[in-house]
Amino acid sequence: MSSSKSHSPPVDFGLAFPALVAGRLLLALTSLPDALKHDHQLSSALTSYSNLQEGIYLFKHGVDPYSGGSFRHSPLYLALFTTILPVTGVGAAIVWTLCDAVGAWALVNIWRARQRVSSTERDSLVAAAYLLNPYILLPSLARSTSSFENTLMLLSLMFASQGKASASILAICFLLHLHPPSMLLIFFPLLMLIITNPTSRLASPRPFKELNPNRDKLYPLMAECVLYACTFSLASTVVSGGTAWIMQTWGASVTLPDLTPNTGLWWYFFTEMFDHFRPFFLMVFTVHLLIYILPICIKFQHDPLYAAFLLIGVLGTFKAYPTLSDPGLFLSMIAIFPEMYPYFRHPIVTALLHLHASLLMPLFNHLWLHQGTGNANFFYASTLVFACSNGAALVDCIWAGLRIAIGEEKEGYAVVQE
Amino acid sequence: MQAGWKAKFLLGLSLCLSALGSPIGEQFDEQLTLKSLRDGKVLSRFSFTTLLKGASPRNPQTLGSDDISQHYTIFPLALGQILREYAITEMHLTLNAGNWNYDRWGYPEEAGVGTGAELWAWMGDGPSDTVDDRWKGLRNALAGLFCASLGSLDEQRTTAPVRSFEPEGNLPDWGPPHQIRHASLASEHVCTENLTPFLKLLPCKSLSGIASLLNPHRLFDADWHGMGVHVLWREGEGVEVRLAFQSISDPVRYSLGRKQDWDFRTLFDRTIDRKCPVAQSSHVVVALPTSAEFDISPEPTSNAAGLATFDVATLNKPLDVGLRWRFDFQYPLDFDSPTSSLSVQRTLRGSSQARGQLSLVLKNHRNTSLHVVYLETMPWLVQFYLHTLQIYINGSRNDDAMSDMTYMPSIPHARPATFQCVLAVPPGGALHLTMDVAKSFLRYTEHPPDAQRGWDLPPAILTPFDPTSNRSANDPIGGRIYTPALLVDLATPDFSMPYNVIIFTCSLVAFIFGSVFNLLTRKFVVVHIEPTKDKKE
Repeated sequence: MSSSKSHSPPVDFGLAFPALVAGRLLLALTSLPDALKHDHQLSSALTSYSNLQEGIYLFKHGVDPYSGGSFRHSPLYLALFTTILPVTGVGAAIVWTLCDAVGAWALVNIWRARQRVSSTERDSLVAAAYLLNPYILLPSLARSTSSFENTLMLLSLMFASQGKASASILAICFLLHLHPPSMLLIFFPLLMLIITNPTSRLASPRPFKELNPNRDKLYPLMAECVLYACTFSLASTVVSGGTAWIMQTWGASVTLPDLTPNTGLWWYFFTEMFDHFRPFFLMVFTVHLLIYILPICIKFQHDPLYAAFLLIGVLGTFKAYPTLSDPGLFLSMIAIFPEMYPYFRHPIVTALLHLHASLLMPLFNHLWLHQGTGNANFFYASTLVFACSNGAALVDCIWAGLRIAIGEEKEGYAVVQE
Repeated sequence: MQAGWKAKFLLGLSLCLSALGSPIGEQFDEQLTLKSLRDGKVLSRFSFTTLLKGASPRNPQTLGSDDISQHYTIFPLALGQILREYAITEMHLTLNAGNWNYDRWGYPEEAGVGTGAELWAWMGDGPSDTVDDRWKGLRNALAGLFCASLGSLDEQRTTAPVRSFEPEGNLPDWGPPHQIRHASLASEHVCTENLTPFLKLLPCKSLSGIASLLNPHRLFDADWHGMGVHVLWREGEGVEVRLAFQSISDPVRYSLGRKQDWDFRTLFDRTIDRKCPVAQSSHVVVALPTSAEFDISPEPTSNAAGLATFDVATLNKPLDVGLRWRFDFQYPLDFDSPTSSLSVQRTLRGSSQARGQLSLVLKNHRNTSLHVVYLETMPWLVQFYLHTLQIYINGSRNDDAMSDMTYMPSIPHARPATFQCVLAVPPGGALHLTMDVAKSFLRYTEHPPDAQRGWDLPPAILTPFDPTSNRSANDPIGGRIYTPALLVDLATPDFSMPYNVIIFTCSLVAFIFGSVFNLLTRKFVVVHIEPTKDKKE
């Protein structure tokens, strides 16, 4: 019912958005979450709902959840879910739906801030792109905590776009505690976005200096960031009653202790890795993620929001414990950059690759682990295709973001790279 | 002939000398207990007890300094050295093959019947070597002594379940409290290479006395067999070493007709030809059937309370004790009255290689309520989801039946999980416990060579106790009950292609990295295309 409304763009946002959220809530209240919560593609070891419930159960029964090996959620989740947020039943359905609704609302606000208007006809479409994206919808139905990470990421970008520096820094510091790699990758373009503005300048690139960045804000912002990060760390330490959470949560993204299959490239690589090369390749894969920050920020210095968007794409492709919602966030964010649509490089190929991967991944995962008729290589191959499709989407967007500056092609002329 | 006399003389002389020169008294007793079971099988249990009178275990406080010298005549020196080197107060090692069927066979004579190897020890804490260091030394030394893979009982298998393994002897008061270490390995197979070192620890080896019946060909052909070494200290008596062997043989299988008759010849293919000269006592005890008519031969030395006792020292050799029934054996088709007070069934359900469900069914056969200590020591291969734990009493949900829960979660590659709780089973009722579990995904180097076979999980241990009395172990309800071991099927990666995976993944990463940096570093230019020649603008 909600999808029919979203497909015609000139729909009143005040009507379409509640309808979409209500539709989502209805889905969350069915028995779907129970069927999906174990799925490896929808929640990783770091974001799994079962692990979260187990950690909360242990925490309530006086066992330190970080003394074991399976609980890798932040102590902030423990604090929230044992006090104000419900973790089961209808309450949980509402929490996860609200979380997605806030994410969609943040995405709409980013779009509005980028257009410098208070509302547009596209608002409903942008919200639908987030709420109806299966890559985001399904992990949220499976109650993966990656939904919270996505929402925080969008909130920090929204506040940064609206010029609310402190709120943005607060959101990103919260994200640091839920998932450090996201924060590390996005922090630099986020700062650039805070001291400039989110207006689209893709078509007219110019050096960062000419955007009149407010450099004086930087140092107070950094100090604020350190303050928030320390406060959250202290809170985590107090909640969990020790510092064991640091290795269990932050360390997991670097040392990859859990090799449960997911949609990423890491798990099978390190399942098959020779033991004496493991630390080296862990280092390589971690550094590889960070290597994209500077070049992308330099090349897209005229549009920090676009740089942040591309880094979210890098994260969805290469991070250690991805779920479908990580590339999903990247794909949904494409909705707020309509100016680049005519300049995609191979949109058909990318879409077909995504279709191929999203059909084969659940199939091969089921065949390997539940049916027993396939082996690990089948699922691995489909994750390779998925990585190809994410990489192709990333390349498409980078190409479009650069190509847009050249403008329309004239008869008898062609645009090539030097 | 002459050589034989000489040997006997020398042996006698050395025995006299050693008896005179022995600093502390040593006493050796041996006993064989035989019992016909309801399903026609025969339980035989050998027990060889050596008591070192007045001795006490080594105080771990003295581990840094020189130990007292050890002179034994009967007590096994190889074992004594290990016990004193690592200052072990109490130790139990069992190596078993097969599943003990409590419903049909009742409680075993020796409580430790868990499948595979099980080792547990009580040790005092000392200043120089920690308990864990000595535990490691102990299991490696025993692995060498008994030719068993006890070295695999490492940190990934070691737990400290105090409630289910209370000391059977006494613990000396040395100041720091004693600690327990327990580990079991269900995949360990007991065989003749373990029996040979076991026999070497006996003063008469398998040459004479009751030990001469320990014929590996027959023992390892039994339906169930297991050996155990138990060391404990009794205050005021001394250090006791008990070597035990239990087996369940099936005489109906050996007989030509359908008779459950047995004698030493059919059970062990041997008879007792000589007595063991150093044995203080040497008895064969036969539990006489109550229901059927039977003949026992030879005439027992004494016969009381349904037990016929044969004194090996006084009876004519060769001694071949046998029990003969008048009628054919009728196999009981229904076991509606199990011989144990508690029936246990533990299964791992679900066909998925990612998760499963652990299910435990307890049936109380008594007409009073029964409290049971339930212990799971689970390797990290299987992770418990305690929040999914559900308990049903006679089919209806009742989570209050569980109390006193202690849980230590597992750490991958480091520590198993220890889950312990007390379950209350109503009289004549059934308790059904279910819990979801997640199965781990291992690195390809961690899988055993026969990876598709799966992993053996150690048995769960249930200790029924009377909630009104103080002691939980060794009470009349029965000792520990071991469930059969479980087999868990873990997902396997492809073992043939580590290189391929490294190459594929690295190529893909390099491809995307290359494409991105290609776009980021190269400038876009507009070129003019003419039909005949290209011209750059």
